[in-house]
Amino acid sequence: MTRRLAPVAVALAFAAGSAGAAEIRVLNWKGYGTDETWAVEAFERSTGHTVVHDHFNSEQEMLTKLRTNPGAYDVVLINSAYTRQAAEEGLIQPIDTAGMRNVDDLAPDMATNEELNANGALHGVPWVWGVTGFAYDRREFEEAPTSLEVFWDPALKGRVGWRDDALEAVQFAALATGQSINDIEDMQAVRDKLQALMPQLATLWSSENDWNRFMASGDFVVATYWSGSANRSRTNFGLPVEFVVPEEGAIGWLDGLSIPAGSENVEAAKAFIDWMIDPRFYVQWDGEVGAPASANLEAAAALGDQAFNRIVLGNPEAIERIEIMGPVPEETRREYLELWQELKAGL
Amino acid sequence: MRPPPSLRAREARGTAALLAPAYLWLTAAVFVPLAVMLGLSFLTETPFGGRDWAVTLGQYEDALGKPLYRELLRRSLLLAGEVTLWCVVIGWPAAFVLAKVIGPRRRGALFLLTILPFWSNGLVRVFSWAILLRGAGVIDWAVEGLTPLEVEGSLLFTREAVVIGLVHAYLPYVVLTGYLSISAIGDDLLEAARSLGASRWLVFLRVVAPLSLPGVAAGAALVFVPVAGAFMEPRILGGREGTFLGTVIEDQFTAVFNWPFGAALSFVLLAAVLAVLAVSAPAVRAAR
Amino acid sequence: MSGRGWRNAGRLWLGLVLLFLYLPIAVMAAMSLNASPFYQLPFEFSWRWYDDLAGNRQLQRAAWTSIWIALATAAIATALGTAAAVALHRGPRGRRVLEALLFPPIAVPWLITGTAMLVFFFLVGIGRGNGAVLVGHVALAIPYVVLVVSARLRALDPALEEAARSLGASRWTAFRRVTLPFLAPGVIAGALFAFAVSFDQFVISYFLQAPGQTTLPVEIYAAIRKGFTPEINAVSTLVIGVSMALLLLVARLVRFGDLR
Repeated sequence: MTRRLAPVAVALAFAAGSAGAAEIRVLNWKGYGTDETWAVEAFERSTGHTVVHDHFNSEQEMLTKLRTNPGAYDVVLINSAYTRQAAEEGLIQPIDTAGMRNVDDLAPDMATNEELNANGALHGVPWVWGVTGFAYDRREFEEAPTSLEVFWDPALKGRVGWRDDALEAVQFAALATGQSINDIEDMQAVRDKLQALMPQLATLWSSENDWNRFMASGDFVVATYWSGSANRSRTNFGLPVEFVVPEEGAIGWLDGLSIPAGSENVEAAKAFIDWMIDPRFYVQWDGEVGAPASANLEAAAALGDQAFNRIVLGNPEAIERIEIMGPVPEETRREYLELWQELKAGL
Repeated sequence: MRPPPSLRAREARGTAALLAPAYLWLTAAVFVPLAVMLGLSFLTETPFGGRDWAVTLGQYEDALGKPLYRELLRRSLLLAGEVTLWCVVIGWPAAFVLAKVIGPRRRGALFLLTILPFWSNGLVRVFSWAILLRGAGVIDWAVEGLTPLEVEGSLLFTREAVVIGLVHAYLPYVVLTGYLSISAIGDDLLEAARSLGASRWLVFLRVVAPLSLPGVAAGAALVFVPVAGAFMEPRILGGREGTFLGTVIEDQFTAVFNWPFGAALSFVLLAAVLAVLAVSAPAVRAAR
Repeated sequence: MSGRGWRNAGRLWLGLVLLFLYLPIAVMAAMSLNASPFYQLPFEFSWRWYDDLAGNRQLQRAAWTSIWIALATAAIATALGTAAAVALHRGPRGRRVLEALLFPPIAVPWLITGTAMLVFFFLVGIGRGNGAVLVGHVALAIPYVVLVVSARLRALDPALEEAARSLGASRWTAFRRVTLPFLAPGVIAGALFAFAVSFDQFVISYFLQAPGQTTLPVEIYAAIRKGFTPEINAVSTLVIGVSMALLLLVARLVRFGDLR
């Protein structure tokens, strides 16, 4: 149906001027803000555009979908560690932010982030950011753990959880062995550390749903987790968990909204992105569902004092310990993957 | 007397006409795409986005040479074998009962009830097993509620849990294909054997087993082949013990962009599975 | 043990097998009525997930799409697969190869086949959409139908069809009056398998469906990532419940327990 409508929509857009009604297609994780029903409805009502979503379950799938569907998507969520690669492959286009009201309020260091500005042009509008640290069941700990070493605590053998992701595993082990996540020199130390971790694990988790279930049923009592998701677990699911930015450091990430090359609805896409970084959207999203931290300073400031993101990530000392993850070459990724698979297979 | 050549030619055309639609469909939808994948497995890199690539045997060298993948292949084949064995041991007698013991009125309903679990969503089923098998889950609750016993430990995140989940998912194949061949054995044949003084056991061994073997073997193949590449049950039920070739192949597509290697691993798996089937086929035929 | 003893033992065995098969389904149904979103016990009865489901258009649409595609798949795959099985049974040249060719769709992990289809369909211009999904599903279902119907065919006594022919029946009449009724349970089983393969198939659907379209397994899989609510259990329970009712009705009407 949409194939026949697309030329009509474009014709309408030209006829009615640049604000003609379009159907924009958004590619994102499921349940990650852009598909909140109330947000989509508000956008559709005020602009007359319609929004259709498609989802992916891993960054590699996102890239594959972009590669094999040119022109099919108008907005795509890309982690800053992948933006440069997508830009260099010609999958996304530079964004001209003229006309986007909220862009001026973006945190300057994020707006000028190197990875989002591949080849000197903005390819991804910084949207939300957060850290990967760990969260624990507050009923199980008398004293709040502050260090990654909690995962290697013999008293917690068989009760800790870890994400089934090779890159993250290596990065955490790097932090635990005092290295920088973007510049790991001593792989042997990383390997030994991870080897020592394996007997400690209850299980590995791969999705928020896994994490929530395992934590709720006590399969594990402390596990690595994303800050935004921990917020969600508390707000949306009511789990008694606390999030920690470890002493050794945490893995920071920045998600950006990009416009795929070949999109036929660039103006509408920009309007949608503008809405996504709008404080009104953000405050409601964070309040009702729980969200990562906003890259929009106005939006972040609009949160209440008790808001999770304020407390955990508003702390300058914590911010010091966060290192934003940079792009990782494919060869390195494969090396880490093989290492991780060997460890999991018990070899 | 052999039919005349023109009749044979007509028959051959008829046979070809019956085969064509299915195999043409398979060719267009599966064989050609897989052939493309096979070609990919001989490249160094996935040829997208301006990457440099070259032809190489390296992917297969790694898939067959590196200890990690050899070990995972071995484990996956063993898992598949174990699951198949359980399915046959549990399913064959069940098929016999369904075909020969249950009366005709109930048989149809029970036959359909055996297929029905296939229609439930696989992922939901596996999650349900996770609930059942976890310590402090439903089974514990039921046992502790109904008996004075206390349940220790949890079956979840063990290899056994993976086996249980897989047996559950694939058992109906054996029951149903077994039923299809056992139900074709004439009752009169069985009665005749019994009336000649053969014991039940002998009747089963010398009459039922050989005649139902092809059906059960087909069911066993339908179990063995997909289980070797399974990744859902191992991931969700296996925890730390959940790494098999299927999960590793999946990683090549979801964690990295290494399609050539993923393809190579898949074709190694395919070859191994076909080899097992080829080796066991003569044994099956000899048993008749 | 006496004859009756054996028969009762047999019934018990079948009963246990069915219990085993339905255990997780019972859990799924129970959890769809449990108030806790994390399947926590003790059990607290609640209709809320069914209420949520009633309001969840996306999930409902996905369920219907899955059902239609599965019905179409079953129809097409059964027709094609049965024809192929009958042809193979005649023992044509190259039979071994043709039989071996049925295994790659089942053996190769669906992720590979799905990616291969995605890329190939993209290159060839078939693209994505429900049509592409149907093409993929039928291709995956055909081997099951062929293998199941073949299993049944192999049990057919060739003397029966020969006897009919020697009495003057044409090949087609002999097939229609003798072989086909015998095949019926096999064909039905094949059709039911084909339906199941399509209905539960998420990998192929996931790759081949167009943005905005969705099928039930894909919805479920995507929901897993960010929050699998028991609405999923509710819709699955409904599907099973309705299917069970339908199948039992069919069993009553057709009484094909008599067909042997």
